[in-house]
This record gives sequence, C-alpha cells and structure tokens, in this order.
Amino acid sequence: MSRTRVPLAALSLASVSALLLAGCSQSTDASKSSDDTAASASAATGKKPAPFSKGTVKVALVRQSGAGDYFEQWGNGAKAQAKALGIDLTVYDAQADNAKQATDLSSAINSGAQAIIVDHGFPSTIQPEIDQAVKKGIKVVVYDVDQTNKSVISTEQDDASMAKAVLDVMAKTVGKNAKVGYVNVAGYAALDKRNSVWKTAVDANGWKQQFKVGKVTDSTATDNVPLVSAALTQHSDVAGVFAPYDELAKGTVLAVQNKKLQSKVKVFGADVSNADIQNMTAAGSPWVATAGTDPSAVGAAVVRTAALELAGQLNKTTVDFPAVAITQDFLRKNKIENMDQLRAALPALNLSKVSTADWIPNVAH
Amino acid sequence: MTTTQSSEAAPKALAPPAVSTAVLVQNAVIKYGFIFVTVALFLYFALSEGSFRESATMLDTLRYVSVAAILGLGVTVTMAVGGMDMSVGAVAGLGVTVAAKTMVTYNQVGTVAILAVIAAGALAGLLNALLIVVMKIPDMLATLGTMFVIQGTKLILVDGQSISAGMTESDGSTAPGKFTAGFLRIDRGTMLGIPISVLIFGALTVIAWVFLARTRWGRVLYAIGANPEASRLAGIRVGAYRALAYVLSGVLASIGGLILASRIGQGDVSAGTSQLLEAVAVALVGTSVLGRGRPNVWGTALGAVLIGIITTGLTIKGLPYYTQDVVEGAVLILALVFSFTLSKRRTA
Repeated sequence: MSRTRVPLAALSLASVSALLLAGCSQSTDASKSSDDTAASASAATGKKPAPFSKGTVKVALVRQSGAGDYFEQWGNGAKAQAKALGIDLTVYDAQADNAKQATDLSSAINSGAQAIIVDHGFPSTIQPEIDQAVKKGIKVVVYDVDQTNKSVISTEQDDASMAKAVLDVMAKTVGKNAKVGYVNVAGYAALDKRNSVWKTAVDANGWKQQFKVGKVTDSTATDNVPLVSAALTQHSDVAGVFAPYDELAKGTVLAVQNKKLQSKVKVFGADVSNADIQNMTAAGSPWVATAGTDPSAVGAAVVRTAALELAGQLNKTTVDFPAVAITQDFLRKNKIENMDQLRAALPALNLSKVSTADWIPNVAH
Repeated sequence: MTTTQSSEAAPKALAPPAVSTAVLVQNAVIKYGFIFVTVALFLYFALSEGSFRESATMLDTLRYVSVAAILGLGVTVTMAVGGMDMSVGAVAGLGVTVAAKTMVTYNQVGTVAILAVIAAGALAGLLNALLIVVMKIPDMLATLGTMFVIQGTKLILVDGQSISAGMTESDGSTAPGKFTAGFLRIDRGTMLGIPISVLIFGALTVIAWVFLARTRWGRVLYAIGANPEASRLAGIRVGAYRALAYVLSGVLASIGGLILASRIGQGDVSAGTSQLLEAVAVALVGTSVLGRGRPNVWGTALGAVLIGIITTGLTIKGLPYYTQDVVEGAVLILALVFSFTLSKRRTA
C-alpha cells in the first residue's frame, strides 16, 4: 500500500514542480487571438527545378523553442510555406532545452533531410553539428544563429533597420538635444546591433542619455520594472526611453505608469506581437512606437530561402528581413488589435519580395 | 454505457485465476509485458521508418536519453531506500554551471571541472541527507526544497547569466577560459564508434546494478526501503545508509550534469530543469520491468531506452512534441498498471 502511494505522489509532485518551472519561464502572451496564418498561397507559375521537380523534398526544422506568440507564428508561417512548396517538413522543437537541441540536430542529420533549417540556438552547442551537416552535403540555413561555417546560409531579422525605424520616429517625437533614457542589455547579438544604431542616433540628435539600465531574465518584463522605476525616480525629466526589445519595453511601460509619468515620458520599443499591439493601444499607454517584422512572414521567407538554396538559385549567403516602423497613432487610427489586422494594414510586413522565384508559391497574404 | 454491460465484462477480469493457464498468462504479462511493449515499438518504428534503422539514429537516441537515464539511476537508488530525489534535475543543472564557471571564469582544465562538478553533486546529496535523515523532513518535500535552493544558488553564482567563452564578467573583464576540447569530448567524442556519454551510461548502469543487486550494501538499501523499522531492529544504521543513497543520487546527477555541460558547451542556466520529470518517469517505468514491482537498475535503464525510442520514433514520424508527451505519459501509466495493479491482483 505505502509502496503504491510513494511513486504516485512523487509523480504528481514532479509534475506540479515542472508546471511551476514552466510557469516561471513562460513568456507566452496571455492573449492568443485567432492569428493562424491563413495560407492563401499565390500560385506559382514557373516550372519547378530539381530537386523539387523530382517529388517530395525532405527538410528538417530544428528549433531551440517553438513556444510563445512570436515563435508559434514563425512556425506556422514556415509550415504553411513548406506545404505550399511540397516540402516534407519535420519539426524538431527542443522546448528551450539546449541539450535536446544538440541531439535533435544530430537526429535531423541522420534523418535523410536534404536541407536543415536551424532556428536560434547557442553557437557553442550547435556549431559542431552544423559543421557535421555541411560535411555530409546537407544544405543548412540558420535563422538568428551567430555561426561561423561559410557554407551555411545565414538569415536574420535586420536588427539595424529595426532600431533605425523606431529611432527615426523617436527623433521626430522628442526632438534634438532632449534628455533620454535607455533600457538594454549587452551580450545578445540582436540587442548589440540595436545598441550600435542607438549610439549613432544619440550622437546625431545631440540627445543626453540620463540612464542605462536593463536585464534579461526568465521574466524580463516584470524584472525590469524596479530597475526602470528607480532610474525614473532620479531622472523623471526624460522625454523618451528607448527599450529595443519588447519584453524590456513592456517593463518600461509598467515602470512609467507606476511613476505616473505617462503624459511626459514616451516609450520607444522594438518587436511586435499581439500582446505588444494591445499594450501599445491600451488607454494611457506611453509606448508610442515600435518596429518589427511579421514572424509568420519571416518563417515563410526562411523556408523559401532554403528552397532556393536547394535549387541552387540563392547565390548569396546572407538574407536579411527588414523591419517596419509601427506607431501607436497608426494602430489606433486603423483600429488594429492583432497581427492579422496589422498584416492587412501594412503590406510591407509580408516580405513578399524576399527569396522568391516564379516557381515558388508565396503564402504571404 | 449501461451498468449491466460493465458488470458483465468486469467479472472476467476480476475473477480469481482459477485456471492455471490464466495464471501463467497473467504472470507472463506482468513479467514480460513491459519488455514486449518496448520491443514491439522498436520493431514498429524500425520497419516503418528507414532512417530509424540507421545505427547513427540509434546511437543518437541512446545519447539523448543518457542524461535522463543516469539521473534516473540516482532516483532509483533513493527509491530503493523508500525515498525519492526531486532535486536531480537541479543538481545536473548546477553541474553545468559549475563546469562552466570552473573552465570559463577560473580558466581551469577539464579534470578540475569534472572534480568540482562531482564535489558539488555530493554536497547537494549531503544537504538532502541532512534535511531528510537528521532533520526528519519527508524526502519528497525536502528534495523539492533543495531543488529550488539549488536552482537559485546556481543563478546567484553567475548573476543569472549563461556563461560562455569570451563573455564579459560582472566586473567588466573578459572571461579568460573556455570549455576545453577534452571536456567537450564527454558528449561529443566517441570511442569505438560509440558516443562517450552512451558508454558512461552503460558503465554506470552496470556499476549501479552490481552495487544494488549484488552487494551487501545494496541489499541493505532495499531492506530499509521495505521496512525501515525492522532494519533498525536488525542493527542496520538506517540513517547512514539513507544518507548514502542521497549522496549517490547527487553524484549520479552531477555526472548527468557533466554530460549536459559537454553537450551544450556553455553554462546554460536553464539546463537540467527538463530532466527531472524524465528521470523520475524512467525510474518509475523501471519498477514494472520483469514484474519486480520495485525500483531496479535494469528497469530504469530499459525505461530510459523506451522513452528514447518513443521520442525519436514519433519525431521521425512527424508528430509534434506535445503528442509525444501524451504517448510517454500513457506508457508510464501502462507500466504502473503492470507494476502495481496487476502484480497486486496476482498476490491478492
């Protein structure tokens, strides 16, 4: 009797603690509206080249994590594009377990895939496997991975364009020689790139940076509230705060609201998701501008890039996805509440000119 | 669903085994049912998916489960004394951080890192032993507490940041070291074509089996698990043996951490957390192997292999991870049915 009880209780405790852990690390947005990519593929007109002319092509997508608003939409876009191309796409999702991503990549190599797409990952974890795949003649396309193999196609969201798009809006809003605040963290490739654009903008506009705070944790948004609040206590006279990552921006928004400074201090963020749109359009939100790419369009474009590389038609090793500026005014004026509506209002988000050919049906709207 | 139907069907299953062949069948189901499920699943995937048959895929599968298996061995040892260790995942994660800190921040060689990690694991085991044996806190609650403490401590050690070569330290200097090539061989290297992590898994399984099943210490551990009071009256130092079980579990978990560290190649702060559930699951699945109904080393190892077969097979089949969770959970429940429901009926 007691023997039965112990393991069962253990199991339930184990699952409870796993739930607790999962709960801590979730950055998934609570508001999940119906934003599945409606794959209305534009028909392809050209003749399919090899290997697509010879039947189904096997491609593996090895992801560090597929969880969260952004990554779910990214995955949906990739799957829709693969389906439209007749690609047999196997998705490996490590669920943010980096050790699993290493073994996933190794399984993908042995699975007979003709191309492997690697979505995020620690370079030190996956570089050896990427090299292995290249050595075996598999085409490798990475998204947002800072890797060193020269035969690999690198794709990424153009972080410099993203920062520039927001900072152009910020320059118009706060004007020259204004006092400004900065929330960012060093050590992340994407944030470092946005940082260098920030430095240029500060110099060009004669801005006076009053503070720089920020950290990245399991719950970045809430953990940054005390930091930014403290900075704002000392420097409540800043006209704008640049927080070039949506979790940092969310924390900054909360801090500004806590200090009741929303009429004076404007927040300039980066990235865009359903939750971000709702945050920006909420009454009294100080978050006036962001810039972003459409994750599902990016996922689709990465698959198209892999397809072009398989057909031998890519002819370059890097593909960037430019970001588009999105302002609070624009969102409110067009009554935009989610990504679907935003995509309809801002066709530039569809990336319909990136990595295309006449034989590739495009799943963008 | 009417009650008449179920009452008609129920007596068949519940009827006392009057016929001897029925007893034989039931015993066979209890004893070999689990092994049968494993072999059947293996054959199913091997026959239906060409890439599953590749030896590289099989070795990858073993490599993937090696960490959960080694952690599961630790859980098995604590289950043998009637306890449970919920901190194994956290201890493995601590191992990853200690390994990274030793090599990257303190610029030490791989051997020093290995010793530091194992020492950290033993220390965590001692902490568990202190709480459970000396302070009399129920095992599961105590190890759940240490799980959180260890996870937090690990983050304090590194200011919440993943440690990677060339990183900027909190004092602004650049980290001098990196993961050494020798250390990275633990998971990435092979010997006779077999990944070293798989060889470690095999060796530890044999060692743990000899220890638990073939030595006096092992039998004493099982005796304590079966009846601590009787063991105490028989003159066994129950406390010392229970402490030993938790230290062994800590050490095994830290070895799992070494493999994780080598696989990830940097001090990933989130490493290890996902291993806890799998480790507990494989140890529990293991209780059903050969109808023992008690924790045993070969069962745990086989349970890990089964989880690996399911994960790899279903991934190749293109099923997303959440359906794999359902299948893994169903297999665990099936194993528990073999272990508890059916074996109970037999003895009843």
